Amino acid sequence: MFNKTKLQKGVHLYIRKTEQFKTVNVTIKWKAPLEQKAASERTVLANVLEDSNAKYRTQSEMRKALDELYGTVLYTDVSKRSAEHTVSLFAECVNDEYFEGEDIFKQLWQLIQAVVFEPNVKDGAFDQAVTDREKRNVRDRIRSIYDDKTRFAQKRMLEIMRPDQPASVSAYGTEEAVSSITKESLYQTYEQMITNDLIDIYVVGDIDESEIIEQIKKYLPFAARDVQKLSAKTDTYSVESVKTVREQQDMKQGKLHLGFTTPVTFNHPDYNKMQITNGIFGGFAHSKLFMNVREKESMAYYANSAFASHYGIVYVTAGIDADLEEKAVQLIGEQLTALQQGDITEIELNQTVALLENSIRSANDSARSQIEIYDQYKELDEHFTAEKLIEKWQSVTLEDVKEMANTIQLEVVYLLSGKEGTSK
Amino acid sequence: MKEVIFDQLQEKIYTETLDNGLKVVILPKRGYSKTFVTFTTKYGSIDRTFKPHGKDEFITVPDGIAHFLEHKMFEKEDGDVFQKFSLNGASANAYTTFGRTAYLFSATNKVMENTKVLLDFVQQPYFTEQTVDKEKGIIAQEITMYDDQPDWRLYFGTIENLYKEHPVKIDIAGTVESIQDITAEHLYTCYETFYHPSNMLLFVVGAVNPEEMMAFIKEDQAQKSFDQPEPIKRQFPSEIKAADIPERVLTMDVSKPKLNIGMKCTAANQQGQEMLETELSANLVLDHLFGRTSSFYEKANREGLVDESFSYEFSMEDGYGFAMVGSDTDEPDKLEALIRQTIKEAKENWPVKDEDLERMRKKKIGQFMRSLNSIEFIANQYTRYEFNEMNLFDVVPTLEKLSMDKLRAAFATFSDDSSYTIFKVLPPVA
Repeated sequence: MFNKTKLQKGVHLYIRKTEQFKTVNVTIKWKAPLEQKAASERTVLANVLEDSNAKYRTQSEMRKALDELYGTVLYTDVSKRSAEHTVSLFAECVNDEYFEGEDIFKQLWQLIQAVVFEPNVKDGAFDQAVTDREKRNVRDRIRSIYDDKTRFAQKRMLEIMRPDQPASVSAYGTEEAVSSITKESLYQTYEQMITNDLIDIYVVGDIDESEIIEQIKKYLPFAARDVQKLSAKTDTYSVESVKTVREQQDMKQGKLHLGFTTPVTFNHPDYNKMQITNGIFGGFAHSKLFMNVREKESMAYYANSAFASHYGIVYVTAGIDADLEEKAVQLIGEQLTALQQGDITEIELNQTVALLENSIRSANDSARSQIEIYDQYKELDEHFTAEKLIEKWQSVTLEDVKEMANTIQLEVVYLLSGKEGTSK
Repeated sequence: MKEVIFDQLQEKIYTETLDNGLKVVILPKRGYSKTFVTFTTKYGSIDRTFKPHGKDEFITVPDGIAHFLEHKMFEKEDGDVFQKFSLNGASANAYTTFGRTAYLFSATNKVMENTKVLLDFVQQPYFTEQTVDKEKGIIAQEITMYDDQPDWRLYFGTIENLYKEHPVKIDIAGTVESIQDITAEHLYTCYETFYHPSNMLLFVVGAVNPEEMMAFIKEDQAQKSFDQPEPIKRQFPSEIKAADIPERVLTMDVSKPKLNIGMKCTAANQQGQEMLETELSANLVLDHLFGRTSSFYEKANREGLVDESFSYEFSMEDGYGFAMVGSDTDEPDKLEALIRQTIKEAKENWPVKDEDLERMRKKKIGQFMRSLNSIEFIANQYTRYEFNEMNLFDVVPTLEKLSMDKLRAAFATFSDDSSYTIFKVLPPVA
């Protein structure tokens, strides 16, 4: 799938040459331990780097340069996985072949170089005004989660279930940590990231591999670094009693979020079995939750489950009439019990395998998906292919699903709903 | 079967209009694993007053019916259609807009079988009072879910302000009350009027052999019988030029105020190439006035009037159109003033220079090429363009020759501030 080149110790390049797309995609990932304060710094830093640099001193100049390059896309973002925090730079430009005589790709490397190695820094600090503005932007982004009741409820459920642990730490950090950032601390964070982070660079498109390697060595001369792989503690959580939390805001629908724990995680040998189990439970439109909570009882528009494999959490979300909480929790519980008792058909199993297979093969049709999937699965197997994964899914049996379901235990019931008198 | 090659884009499409009137378009994509198929009817939430198939009198149906019908197409006498798609490894879905209802699937396997499932379920309606009633609870939850989304309320609230009569002002899904009036008979009436193959388009894109696929579809359609196509008679009220309601405020539990300015477009009856030019030009003008390289954005961003939620758009269909500019902001009044000022200055002193136009042209061409990587974009947009008598693949040649005069003309369609409205979502006063 991807050809790997070691550029330096801790700095790797993964190239996939393909004629499938009309564009070339570049992603650079900087990976470091996930901590609240560092997450905030790195999120603001990602914004500041995207905004401007020493070469293109204002956002407007930077954006004009990208527009001239046939609307080349360049932006940064942050994310988390397991106990790791990632700053990503994404860039995408149209293939040169469509525009004769233009060396778009080379110019793109020069732009990326400016973003990464020529920050707008003076006397060991970023620009005050830009720093302040992006602090405000990140603060507001964190606050705005409150406006999206589904995201808010999910955040609360995770905080209740795994307080102060990677599962509930936001990739954006916290408002408090953002407010304590200074233009100097931001520069230290930058130095730290460029010097110490584990770096993975991905390039997908119709390119000349050896040329790319030369260009990256020239434009992105990252030094060697010592890095250790980090993964979340895979403690097993025993559930003594189910924790029920109800919170209220001015809203109409009830947002029911259930957190279940399982010892099976991404690194566990049974990981693929649990993917299937989650699929049968509530991953698709043929799943038990959809068929029973939505179709049979007409109680919800959505009722899904998801497997947060890096944290050993299965969660269920449903939008319901808050008065029906008890009934909904019971109904969701019954679906899990059905799985635990082996009340599953070959059809449900086959449908789930077929749809997982479809989704992994479909991911092949987007350069970004190829990168994200490989970035995750390469940690298990550097020679990862969709076919290997599909084989594993196909070998899962009904008995496996039953066994997996029996590891899943309800831990938290969280309901966010309207205040009295506003729920109707 | 007709072949059309777009050299510059390195794409080739195959089209044919079948005997029953169904238009089929196939676009094979080199290197792709999946096939994406959409089956779309030119029927959406705005089509509420019409002459039913075979009848002479206009009727008006309950709000939300096109969307309700979309939901109910998936339930058959022998069960839920999703079950069949899942068995064949296809991921299926549907959506309803103001003017279209689309049914779709994507699959990396059994593409013919899945295409058959798609054609059959959309062409064999099955509604009973019991299944219709059962759906009301599900759709009521869907409506309630959207009611809690402030950005959704902001967007549709703005449209509601802009229009006095046109049904674009009505929520696509209707209201919890309006859907209670929907019956199985209504659904059959709407189905028979709007789901005739001559009002529909089938688009197949991705890993597909065009000859085999076309033959397969033709054979399937030849086996089914349909009435003779009849022209569909829709009725739309006449609409005023000005915005109906100049300003409205909604209180919701949000962390920061939200402001949206809606600008009603006067060129609401364009189709074809004229529409394509207006649409592209209007987008370029908005980019120039409000994009990240604009002096407006530089100022608004510097003064903290906008944040990452800032956005603008231009939207145009047969019968209605509007531009919108909005953001979460702690200073809605200042932001509103700056947006109005920007428009006013552009009217007094045309701001787009030749070099700006060239740069934006390049940007838009690149953006369009990039979007052709997405087979979902191609299928959905091609269909939308076709229903408006435009061709998606004319975008690049049209962009290449777009003149400054076109930009000025497009700007004039939404620059009259009597057609502006303000919608705000504000947090409760503490």
